[in-house]
Amino acid sequence: MKLSAVKPVSRVLVRELAVTALLLAGVSVVVFAILYLAPGDPLRALGVSEAQGVPRTWHGQYAAWFARVLQGDFGASFRTGLPVLPELARVGANTLYLTLGALALTLAIAVPIAVHAAAHGDTAGNTAATIAAYIVSAVPVFWFGYIVVYVFIHQFGMFPLISGTATRQQHAWLYSLVPILVLGTASGTLSEMVRHLREELSRVLAEDYIRTARAKGAPVWRHAFKEGFLIPATEIMSAKIPFLLGGAVIVEQVFNWPGMGRMAWQAAQDRDFPVIMGVALVAAAFVRLGNLAQRVVFTAVNPRASKE
Amino acid sequence: MRRYVQAENVYALPLLQRANPLDLVYVGYGLAIVALVFVSYLIGTLGWLPHDPRAMNVALINAAPFTPGHLLGTDFLGRDLQSRLILGIQAYFLPGLLAIAISLVGGSVLGILAGYRGGGWEILVSYFSNLLDSFPRLVLILLVIAAFKPDIYYVMVVVGITGMPVIANLVAGKIAFLRQKSFIEAAHALGLPAHTVILKHILWLNCRAPLVIQATLGMAEAILIETSLSYLGFGVQEPTPSWGNMVQAGSNYFLQGNFWPSTAPALAILATILGFQLLGDGLNNLLEGKRRA
Amino acid sequence: MMLLSIENLRTYFYSRSRRAFVRSVDGASLALARGETLGVVGESGSGKTVAALSAAGLVSGSPGVIGGRVEFDSRNLLDGLEGYVKVEERDARVMAVEKDERGWGKRAESLMAGVRGKEIAMIFQNPRAALNPYATVGAQLVEAIRLHTKWKSKSEAKERALHWLERVRIDSPRLRFDNFPFGMSGGMCQRAMIAMALCAEPSLLIADEPTTGLDATIQARIVELLEELKAETAITTLLISHDISVIRRISDRVAVMYAGTVVESGAASQVLRPHAAEQHPYTAALLASIPSAEAIRGKRELRAIEGEVPDTIDRPRGCRFYGRCNRVTDAVRGRCANLEPPLAELAPGHKLRCWLHAA
Repeated sequence: MKLSAVKPVSRVLVRELAVTALLLAGVSVVVFAILYLAPGDPLRALGVSEAQGVPRTWHGQYAAWFARVLQGDFGASFRTGLPVLPELARVGANTLYLTLGALALTLAIAVPIAVHAAAHGDTAGNTAATIAAYIVSAVPVFWFGYIVVYVFIHQFGMFPLISGTATRQQHAWLYSLVPILVLGTASGTLSEMVRHLREELSRVLAEDYIRTARAKGAPVWRHAFKEGFLIPATEIMSAKIPFLLGGAVIVEQVFNWPGMGRMAWQAAQDRDFPVIMGVALVAAAFVRLGNLAQRVVFTAVNPRASKE
Repeated sequence: MRRYVQAENVYALPLLQRANPLDLVYVGYGLAIVALVFVSYLIGTLGWLPHDPRAMNVALINAAPFTPGHLLGTDFLGRDLQSRLILGIQAYFLPGLLAIAISLVGGSVLGILAGYRGGGWEILVSYFSNLLDSFPRLVLILLVIAAFKPDIYYVMVVVGITGMPVIANLVAGKIAFLRQKSFIEAAHALGLPAHTVILKHILWLNCRAPLVIQATLGMAEAILIETSLSYLGFGVQEPTPSWGNMVQAGSNYFLQGNFWPSTAPALAILATILGFQLLGDGLNNLLEGKRRA
Repeated sequence: MMLLSIENLRTYFYSRSRRAFVRSVDGASLALARGETLGVVGESGSGKTVAALSAAGLVSGSPGVIGGRVEFDSRNLLDGLEGYVKVEERDARVMAVEKDERGWGKRAESLMAGVRGKEIAMIFQNPRAALNPYATVGAQLVEAIRLHTKWKSKSEAKERALHWLERVRIDSPRLRFDNFPFGMSGGMCQRAMIAMALCAEPSLLIADEPTTGLDATIQARIVELLEELKAETAITTLLISHDISVIRRISDRVAVMYAGTVVESGAASQVLRPHAAEQHPYTAALLASIPSAEAIRGKRELRAIEGEVPDTIDRPRGCRFYGRCNRVTDAVRGRCANLEPPLAELAPGHKLRCWLHAA
């Protein structure tokens, strides 16, 4: 199965990059607007004020602020005094690890249920699994975290909290699976994932070309894979990244996980504007990058996408 | 083994009989929850609580459910859990309605602009929707809280605004569908004024079911946000109860083996969010799903 | 020797909203000898497509095939079906069905393995939708070749694929090889699908409405192609269409289906003869409804068949065509209304299901 010609594909990708850039610009405007309208003039604290020769008009301030942001200057934390962006980069990796791991886990749970339901219709098994998915999706993730922690302490004698220096080095990565387990199951996205994947796969399996594949004696999954699994899976994954990031804020709290979410919570408590602003920008950037990756997959797979 | 039986008299069955029984269960449970929440909200507002939610009763700490006088037991300070749970509804009920109202009205307007006017409006609304979807809700809310104040109504305005893209997409999609069926053209040909076409025909006749469904799902989302925020310490403050801060306060005792003060509100959250979700999905399957022959 | 023999096939679908069975194929029998082309003709809803899909094991839907025999090359493709289906009848009507669908599905797959695609090939209507939009035409052909023929390597398979694309007279085969279906016209897609079906050199080709949905001129071309391929390869074909002109052109024998059963079958020249004495009223009505050149010139009214296609759910007691038949006489009215006529052999090779022509 060939990819379509390279040139038209790269044209579409350039367009997707441009759209992403425009959206990121919009993100910056929204964040700036909130800071601008906030009482207490946080912008001055960020160094964007009249004193430094910045005009009073809102667009002037935006330009100055945006210029700094582009240079990587997100200001310094009110609380620690450290520059924000390097700190964010350090903890952002932890959050990325947590979020992507949880996303993979949710997918790993959702896929078998969805595929079985699409292939075999409503059986007792997958109906029970679907109901279980609904219940699990409604469980408050913070409480679920406590249950898991409790089980680990009392059943395994381990205390799955991560501090900067893990005393038991060789088990450190195992500890990290626990918050992934919690976020992956209770992020609230499981039932939607099951539903989306199942609907799309069912729809594709009913398509004419799948019937032709059957008539041909060809393996159905090979033909149904692209439209029935790959595209819906990447779609739903990219759509749920924001939800998982939100869940990460809570999970990082429960497990004292050194990530962006916990940093954001701390910053909101201290009204530490540079930090919370930085988190908002980086989180939005994660989301848009995820979306861009999904669009790349879609364009690569879909022959019609590059002929526009 | 599946069994299929032909009925004696072959006629088209009404919705209730040809519906998937599971969907009816979902809707039934959901409606029960909605009724319970609404009644509890009223009780809470009127103050008809069985106990004073702040009254501490040192003698009866951590009472189990069904202890005489305390249907749901007491927490670690001896406060009646039933009363606290009922009062906790106040924290999200009205704010949730605000969020839903903003989403529905704002989203409908955007959807109509995109679908009905099309062209540049469509691009603009699409951009705006993608923009709003770029933020994880909780992060945006934390930003707003840091910038302004941890006021639940501010938060719900943000929730409402971030809920607009879904509604806009829904309405615009319905318009595209109607356009394809030439309903809109026909309406114009009949000379119907634009506002009638939009309000009566598009929104009321065609969109009201999916919009109601989105409202239930929106409430589920609002409850999730409010409880998460008060868990994190940004919502209602002690001693006023909110389901989120009740879970948080009880968490210290949880790890010592005293589960109930934390679990009771968590179960309430679970049952309630589940109720709104199932109601929304069940109604969706019944009313909007492909009519499974 | 019959290559394909369908006996008393019954395929039902259950409608939950109406709590009733849609009796798509309700006791149909067809037979195909090697090398001949059997045309199956009938209105939409007559069950011709479902019958073909049932023979190929491609029916999706519940309960699906519930009874009958499909003998292909001396093998019963529905062998063992009775073990998985229990049918309850009352007054000779099926009122309840119990079927182990998963069990039968597995068994059917093992029965059809190696048959589907290799010995029985099928082409469909709407060729653009029937080809995988995510793969090039060439890749889809190569897949079929590598699966079912001895040319397993990619380069060999590609050569064979190009050879077949040439044989179906597609223009610029090398170019089309790398094309995706959305970039090709309906006619070209249909040629590609024919190539894909025939490249495995099957013994039986089932063509389900291969010309429906194509432009009129393209239709003629495809029919031409099928004629030529038939002459070249002597392949056995089961051709399904509601278009009598297509059937007439290529078929050696014809079967007419109505409301789930075969009402007439025989040699094409015999069945499709207008104003024949021994003919089923439905066949006669079908032939009469085709506007002829003089009718158009003379501006005569089109003769449609009165009434509507019967509800496949609420089947009447007697002959299925009774309500629309314009040849009922008082002598047979009683039987027509209450008893379904059997498919009787009037002359060798010519069968009719009608009380007017019964012994």
